[in-house]
Amino acid sequence: MKQTKLFIIFGIWVLICPAWAAQNQLKFDRYHTPQEIDAALASYASQHPDSMVLHKLTVTPGKRSVAMIEIGPEVKNKKKSLPAVLVAANLEGTIPISSEAALYLIQSLLEKPDAYKDKTWYILPLGNPDAAAKYFAKPLIMDARNARPHNDDKDDQTDEDGVEDLNGDGLITSMRKKDPQGQWLPIPGEPRLMKRADWAKGEKGIYKLYSEGKDNDGDGEYNEDGPGGVNIGVNFPHLFKFFTKDGGPWATSEVESLNLVKFIVRHREIGMTFVLGATNFCLVPPKGGRKGEADLSNIKVPKEIAEFMNIDPEKTYSLKEIMEMVQPLLPPGMEVTEAMLASFLGLGAVVNPLPDDLKFYQELSDKYKEYLKTVKLDGKRQDPEAAKDGSFELWAYYHLGVPSFSMDFWTLPEVKEEKKEGEEITPEKLEKMTNEEFIALGEEKINAFLKSSGAPDNFKAEMVINALKNGMMDTKKMAAMMRQMPMPKGKEGADPKEKALLAFSDTELEGKSFVEWEKFKHPTLGDVEIGGAVPYAYNTPPASMMENLLKGQTPWIMEIAGKMARIGIKETKVEALGGGLYRLSVWVENSGYLPYPTAMGKRNNRILPAIITLEGEGFQIIEGKKRTLIGTIGGHNSELATWIIQANKKGVTLKTSVKTSIAWSDSRQVKLGGAK
Amino acid sequence: MKKTFIILILAIITTGIISHSLWAQKRITVPLRFDEYYTYAEVVEALKALNKAFPKLTKLDLVGKSEEGREIYALTVNNAITGPALEKPGVYVDGNIHGNEIQAGEVALYFLNYILTKYEKNDEITKIVDKNTFYVIPVVNVDGRAHFFEDPNTSSTGRSLRIPKDDDRDGLVNEDFPDDLDGDGNICLMRKRDPFGNLKTDPVDPRLMIPVKPGEKGEWTMIGSEGIDNDGDGRINEDSEGYVDGNRNWGYDWAPEYVQAGAGDYPFSGLGIKAIADYILERPNICMLWAFHNSGGLIVRGPSTKAQGSYNPQDVAVYDYLGKQGERIIPGYRYVIGFKDMYTTYGDFTEWTFMCLGIYGYVGELFMSSQETFRSIEEAKKRESAPDDLMSMLGGSSFDRERLQFNDNLVQGELYRPWKPYKHPTYGDIEIGGWTKMSSRLSAPFMLKDMVHRNAMAIVFSAKHTPEVALDVFEVKEVGKNLYRIRTRLTNSKAIPTMSYHAQKVKLYPEDMLTVTGQNAQVLAGGKLTNIFRNETSYKKHRPGLQFLTIPGFGKVEHQFLVSGKGKVTIKYSSRHAGKREKTVELK
Repeated sequence: MKQTKLFIIFGIWVLICPAWAAQNQLKFDRYHTPQEIDAALASYASQHPDSMVLHKLTVTPGKRSVAMIEIGPEVKNKKKSLPAVLVAANLEGTIPISSEAALYLIQSLLEKPDAYKDKTWYILPLGNPDAAAKYFAKPLIMDARNARPHNDDKDDQTDEDGVEDLNGDGLITSMRKKDPQGQWLPIPGEPRLMKRADWAKGEKGIYKLYSEGKDNDGDGEYNEDGPGGVNIGVNFPHLFKFFTKDGGPWATSEVESLNLVKFIVRHREIGMTFVLGATNFCLVPPKGGRKGEADLSNIKVPKEIAEFMNIDPEKTYSLKEIMEMVQPLLPPGMEVTEAMLASFLGLGAVVNPLPDDLKFYQELSDKYKEYLKTVKLDGKRQDPEAAKDGSFELWAYYHLGVPSFSMDFWTLPEVKEEKKEGEEITPEKLEKMTNEEFIALGEEKINAFLKSSGAPDNFKAEMVINALKNGMMDTKKMAAMMRQMPMPKGKEGADPKEKALLAFSDTELEGKSFVEWEKFKHPTLGDVEIGGAVPYAYNTPPASMMENLLKGQTPWIMEIAGKMARIGIKETKVEALGGGLYRLSVWVENSGYLPYPTAMGKRNNRILPAIITLEGEGFQIIEGKKRTLIGTIGGHNSELATWIIQANKKGVTLKTSVKTSIAWSDSRQVKLGGAK
Repeated sequence: MKKTFIILILAIITTGIISHSLWAQKRITVPLRFDEYYTYAEVVEALKALNKAFPKLTKLDLVGKSEEGREIYALTVNNAITGPALEKPGVYVDGNIHGNEIQAGEVALYFLNYILTKYEKNDEITKIVDKNTFYVIPVVNVDGRAHFFEDPNTSSTGRSLRIPKDDDRDGLVNEDFPDDLDGDGNICLMRKRDPFGNLKTDPVDPRLMIPVKPGEKGEWTMIGSEGIDNDGDGRINEDSEGYVDGNRNWGYDWAPEYVQAGAGDYPFSGLGIKAIADYILERPNICMLWAFHNSGGLIVRGPSTKAQGSYNPQDVAVYDYLGKQGERIIPGYRYVIGFKDMYTTYGDFTEWTFMCLGIYGYVGELFMSSQETFRSIEEAKKRESAPDDLMSMLGGSSFDRERLQFNDNLVQGELYRPWKPYKHPTYGDIEIGGWTKMSSRLSAPFMLKDMVHRNAMAIVFSAKHTPEVALDVFEVKEVGKNLYRIRTRLTNSKAIPTMSYHAQKVKLYPEDMLTVTGQNAQVLAGGKLTNIFRNETSYKKHRPGLQFLTIPGFGKVEHQFLVSGKGKVTIKYSSRHAGKREKTVELK
C-alpha cells in the first residue's frame, strides 16, 4: 500500500520532470542546487532499483532533506554481509564542487559495476544543504551555518542583524571605512588588497573593515547576528570545540550531524570513509603534533590512586604494568579492561595519527601524486585546508577507527614567484636531504630559507646548524615544522591566498572574482567603500573547469576503496594425531593492502576481531576456542589459528568460517580424514 | 547445560513472581513511607499518588521512554498562584541514573513528599514552594531499576542502560549474564576449596576469608561472581546487559568508549538520557540541580577531568558555600571534586548541565558502609580511623567483620548469604555465598529514613539559596527641563548569582535584562552605576534603555538612566533564573 503510494507520487514527479525521465546523465557544466541534487538522487534510485536505494537521513532546520544513496549488491538487505565505503560531501556546505564530485562518483560507479559488485557505497552528496543553498541565492554569501536560529550576540533578539547587499551587485563583500582607530591599510604594491598594520614596522592603519551590511538592531555592531546556527562540518565528537560562534553547543547537536552519526553507528559494515570537502588526506596525510596525548607506555598514576595501589606516584608505568598491579586489588569477580583502567586514570584520547597508520597515508599520498601527473592535475596550487577540530574526517579516523580519507578538488593555482625554479627549499625537498647536505648549503642560503619560511627573526642559520650537528634537530623534523607553519606572507605583506585569488581572477576570469572598491554612502557609517573578494572565489572553480577536475580526481576514490583490508582463509591443514585426534590449522589472511584494522582501530577497540568458528557435527574441540578471535591482521599478512579436535568417526567434514563486518568473510569445508 | 538453564529460568521467574506479589500488596498512600524500597512500578504509583493528593501544586509529566519502553516520569512542584513555573528559580532533582543505585530514587521521593506535606504547615517549606519550581525525576534509569528488583544481581550490577553491547567483542551480544545458580535472587560469590588458593578462612569469623601469608597453606580460591560460562568461551559473566553508562553519555566533554568506558556510541545515544536532556533544555529557569547516586557519602562537584582546568573562583565560592553546608547537614559526607577526589569521568550529567547550561549542581553519593556499625562507645574509641568508603568499595573492606555483626544483630542476617555447597558445571564442587544485592551500597531499610531526610534537607538548603531578586527604584529626580535621573537597584539576597560566572564568561545565553520604557519618555543615557557617591556611571553607548547584567550572590547592581519626557515609565527586570520584576514610576 505504502509502496504503491510512493510509486504513484514518483510517477507524477517523473512527469513533471521530463528532463530526468529522458536522461539519467547529469552534466557537470554547472553547479547543482540542493533541490537538483535531491532530485538526481531520487532519479538514480528509481532507475536502478536493483543496485541503488535512497536513505533519507533527516530534514534540516531549513526544511531541506539530507539524503544518502546506497549503491551495491545488497540494497535489499537491511543487514549487510559485505563491507561498505561511506562518502560524505560538503558537510560545511560552502564547497559546491565537493557535492558535484559526489554526484560524479555516483555516475562513475554506474558505469563500473565492478566497483560495487562486492561492496556497498553509501554516498551523501550534500551534508549541509541549508548552507549549500546560499550558493544559489541572491545576494551571494558564503556561510557554513545551517538554518537553526541562534542568538550569536546574546542580546534580546535572534538572527536580527545579518549582512545586506548595499550596493546591489548581488554579492556580499566587504566595507572599508576610514577611521582614526583603523587597523588596516592597503598594500602599496596592490592597493586592492589590505593588510593589518604592523606598528613594529612603522605602519599605521587607515581603515576599519566590516562585512557588507547595516547595523539592523542599532547596537553598534555590524552583521553580528545573521540568520543561521551551526556549521555541520565541525559538529562531530572528536576534539569538538565548545563555546564557539558556529560549532554548536555540543557534538552532534544538529540533526544533520546526529543522523549521519546514527546511520554510521547502525551500519557497522562501514570500513572506510571519504570526506569530500576542503581537506585532502589523499594528498596530505593527517597532521600530528598535537599536545596532551597520553603515552600508554609512560603513565604517571595520580597520587591518591598510587597510594592506594602502593606504587610510586613519581614513576611511570605502562598500562599493562598498571593492569597487572590493579588486578589483585580488585574484589573477586570484578573484571577490569584496559579501557576501564584508561578512563579511571583519565588518560584521555588519542589526538595524533598513530605512526603505523601514517605509513599507509604517506605511501598512498606518494602514489596519488604520481597519479595526478598522469591526469595532468599536478599543477602547483594552494594547499588543501588542515582538518578542523570536530570535523568528520577526524572523527572517522579517531572514533570509528577506519581508514579516513578526504579530498578537495580545487584550490587557487599558486602564484609563480619571480624566484628561479628549483632554488626554493620546500618541505618535500628538505625531507629528502641529509643533515650534511643541508648544512652544506651554507649560512647565507640557510638564512634566506629561514626568512622565507617564516621563522622568527632571532632564529639564525648558526643555531640551526648547531642543532643539526648535535642531533637535536634533523631535516625530517624541520620539514614537519615547516608544514605546521602558517603560510608566509608575500613580499608586499599580502596574504598569498589573496594574491593567488587576484592573479587567477585577473588572468583567467577577467577580474570577476574581485569587486573593485567603490564609494558608498552608508546609513550609519557614512562614507565607506564596498569591495573585495567575491564569495566562493577561493574554493570554487568556474563551472567550465569542473568536469576535467572531477574526471581526473574522483577515480582515486575507487582506487583507494580497492585497497581495503580483505579477510579470507588462505589455507587449511589437518594433521592426524592418532586416537581420533586431529590438529586443524587455519591460516587467515588479509589480502588487501590496508591493515585489519588500522592501528587506531586497534587502539580504540571499536573494530571487532576477525572471528573464526568451526561448525559441523561429529566432532568436539579438545583445545582451542569455539570462537577464535584474531585482533589484527596486517596488510598482505596471515595469522594462524589452530585447534585440536576429536572426531567420533572417520571422514567428518566441518566448516570453518572467518567473519568480519568491514573486511568480508570467508569459509571452507575441511575433511578430517579418518581416525588412525 | 540445558537443564541448568531451565532451572535458572524457573528460578528467575519464581523469584520474580514471589517478589512481585509481595510488593503488589504494599499500598501506596500519601504521606509516603520510607521504611522499604520502592520498585519502579511503585515509584510511578507514588508519583501519581502525590500528584493526586496535591493537584494544585503538582504536575506529572511523561518525560520519555527508555530503551525497553518504560516510561520516565517527572513531577513538577509549582504553586501557580505565586507565578508561572518558568518564571521562578528552578531546582532539578534526579536519581538512580545507575540502575542499581536505587535509594537515590527514594531521596527524590522523600524530598517531594516532604515539601508537599509540609506546605502551609511549615513556614520555611511554604516559602521555597512559593518561590521555586521543583522538577523531580526520581528514576532516570527506569529499565535498570526495574531489572535490579526483578533479576538476580549483585549490589553493583544492573547499572547500565539497556543498550545491547558486545562487551567481550566476540560477535555475540549480551550472551553471558551472571546466573543465579542457587535461585535466591542474588548474585553472590563462588569459591572453591583449593590447597593452592591464596585465601584461608578468617579465624575470627569463618564466613570471611583472609589472604594467606607467604609460605602458608591456602584453603580457598575465589572463582568470581555467581554464574556459568554461558557462551563457552572460558570466561564467566563477561557479557551481560550494556555496558552503556547513563552518566557518561552527556554532551560536555564526551569521549569514546576506549577513553571512557560506558560512553555509548555518541553523546545522548541513550533514549531516556536524550529525553531528559530535552526536558531540561525546555526549562531554562533551572539554576540548581542535584543528581543522586550511591555510594561513598560524598557531595561531588566538577570538574570531572583535570584537563578542563578549575572552575572560575566565583563559581567555586558558590559551590563551596552550599557544599560545606551540605557536609554539616549530612554528617560523615564529604564535599569533594570529581576528578581529584574520585576519578576522571567524561560525559557526566552534572558537567553538561554546568558547562553547557550554566546550572550549579552536585552529585550526591549516598550510603556509607562505615555507618553500618556494631561497637560500643569504648570500642569505637579504640577503633582505627573509619574506612574510606570509596577505597573500601574498590578494594573490599577490612571492616567486613563488623559489618557481618551488623548483619547478624541489626538486620537478622538479611544482608549476607552463608556459604552453601553447589555443583558447578565447570568447577565441580564449589560454594556460593556472600553479600546480597540489597547490601553493601544500599542502606538497611531501618536506616533509610535518616539518610533520605538529611539529603533532602541539603536540597532544601540549596533551594533557599537560589536567587531572590528585589527591584527598587530608589531615585527619580528632575535634573533639567523634562529630564529625569532614575536610579534602580537590583539586589539578590541569596547565595546563587542570577547567572553563573562560567555562563557569563563563555556567553552561554543572554544575561539578565533591565529595560526602561515609557510612552512619552525616551532614555537618553543609561548604564551601571559604578560608584554612587561619586556619581560614576558606565553608560552603554547603544540602546541605553536595555541593560544586560548579572546580580551576584548576596549582591547588588545599580543603574542610572537619564530619561526625557513625561508620564509613566516602566522598569522591567527579567532573568532566566530569577524571574521577572517590574516597577512603574511617574515623571512629573
